[in-house]
Amino acid sequence: MGSNLYADSPNDTPTESLLCVQALRKQYVRGGIWRKRVPVAAVNGVDFEIPRGRTFALVGESGSGKSTVARCVTRLERPDSGRILIRGINIAQLRSRDLLPFRSGIQIVFQDAITSMNPRFSALEIIEEPLLIQSQRGQVEYDRRNRRDRVGALMVEVGISPDWMHRSILHFSGGQRQRLALARALALRPQLLVLDEALSGLDLSTQAQVANLLLDLQAAHSLTYLLISHDLGLVARLADEIGVMSGGQTVEIGPTQQIVTSPNHAATKKLLAAARTATSAFAAATGEQA
Amino acid sequence: MDDSKEHFAEVKDLKVTYYPEDGVPVRALDGANLKIRAGEIVGILGESGCGKSTLASAWLRLLPPHASCEAGTIVFRGRNLLTLSEQELRPLRGKEISLISQDPALSLNPLIMAGSQIGEVLRAHSLLNARQRRGQVMELLREVGFNHPEEIYSAYPHQLSGGQRQRIAIAQAVACRPALVIADEPTSKLDSTLQAEIVSVLLQIRKRHATAILVISHDPSLFTGFADRVAVMYAGRIIEVGSSPEIFGRPLHPYTQALVQIAAYSVLTKLQTGLRFPAIEGESPDPTCIPAGCRFEPRCSDRMEICSQSYPPQFMPDPSRPVNCFKYGE
Repeated sequence: MGSNLYADSPNDTPTESLLCVQALRKQYVRGGIWRKRVPVAAVNGVDFEIPRGRTFALVGESGSGKSTVARCVTRLERPDSGRILIRGINIAQLRSRDLLPFRSGIQIVFQDAITSMNPRFSALEIIEEPLLIQSQRGQVEYDRRNRRDRVGALMVEVGISPDWMHRSILHFSGGQRQRLALARALALRPQLLVLDEALSGLDLSTQAQVANLLLDLQAAHSLTYLLISHDLGLVARLADEIGVMSGGQTVEIGPTQQIVTSPNHAATKKLLAAARTATSAFAAATGEQA
Repeated sequence: MDDSKEHFAEVKDLKVTYYPEDGVPVRALDGANLKIRAGEIVGILGESGCGKSTLASAWLRLLPPHASCEAGTIVFRGRNLLTLSEQELRPLRGKEISLISQDPALSLNPLIMAGSQIGEVLRAHSLLNARQRRGQVMELLREVGFNHPEEIYSAYPHQLSGGQRQRIAIAQAVACRPALVIADEPTSKLDSTLQAEIVSVLLQIRKRHATAILVISHDPSLFTGFADRVAVMYAGRIIEVGSSPEIFGRPLHPYTQALVQIAAYSVLTKLQTGLRFPAIEGESPDPTCIPAGCRFEPRCSDRMEICSQSYPPQFMPDPSRPVNCFKYGE
């Protein structure tokens, strides 16, 4: 049993898929002015599907192309080929104007909260920025007071006192900044949250707190998560399904329990072995059974 | 062996305060005590903001200008480093004590070949000529696990992977065979497969050259099978010290107990149990207004009345296990 959510699935009515990625490819060009330009295939055939309200984890070693997938799904990059279906609509090649209605529905949280925020901004300014942008585009009307109320509510939701709204983000700890990044991502009520190593830079106790927060938020808003991580041990607790990437391809996909107990591909085995080495050494030290 | 010889490096009651230009002073280290024996690997475990990196920088006197060491001593081979001049410190840094920083992408110069950056340390501290230096660098590259050192020698940092870069940083740090290497979160930017690799390189170096290593990390699992002793830090103070099996097998301080519980949970073995992660609720205290009592008291599950009144002194439930917690008071 991967998790309680997954265990119930056979009896449920088939859930509609929120995100479906098919045959995704993306090349970058290495080299430049004085060197020969060499194309490097960062993503070379990635397929997966996430049902609404579920968590899918994409794991792989560094350089396996998982962050490029995240950037393509959020359309920070335009993929070379392949399909990215959001509720059945292919957004892979949409022009930026046509993408607007989809942007608010897909949000991303990066590993390092501080580099993804303007250091001169207060918590309020950080979280209200997406609301402001939406207001300017006339999609949703938020006046000043509405915005402030919404920011306050979001801060409460991620476990930060709204009294700190006017503090500069430099005065928040790493874990608090990651909570603020989550609040910003939630401001536009997205359906899909892409978490690109969002738990990796955090201390162990903070990591556990943020992971619990992710579980609470998912339950409250039936969010769909795409987790990107190199740490199989960590995502195994959060994900319903896991896709393993190696050399730009998804080499194995399956329910968490299956991936963890009976891995097929060498890349999966390697990731598992890495997680288990740390585990068994620690279990031996703490006197527990590995 | 007399104590001062056995502990060749020692921090005594060190207090470091940061004075930001526009803001309240922050006491980052508030009376830290730590001894390191020759050839020993000592781990410092603590969450971010607890002062562990300040302790690492203070050891090399590399604190930023707005920080000041207000009390205490840092003794290295009988000399107090805090009283030395910059000129007296120069032959020590890199030769006797060296630092491996968290992010080699930032600590390596992107415009200089990896091999030359290692050679630079030798040029500063030895009389070797260029050819001898090159030979020595090749030797060092082999030592940190590169099978084709020639290729790595002439590679620029951006052409290397994160793990390779960290191994270059290690080669740089051990080039002059220092007596003490300080590794500040050496694996936090690497994935778990590379973490094991770096640990084995460091263990090899200790084995060959009897180098003492001070490792700093927030991850308890890094220390198992690696550190001989572990000191746990919380909010600017060391709260518990013990051998690695003692700390993880029988943690004494409630903070260490909670941390070990979290680390043991985030593993694959107990996949079925519950959905939520065990966590220590709350945050560590604001360093600008530290409470008078135990600093962990607001988050502690075993708190007593006395805990909020005064800071717990050091108790010794075992002869080798100092711990600052009233639970172990008589």
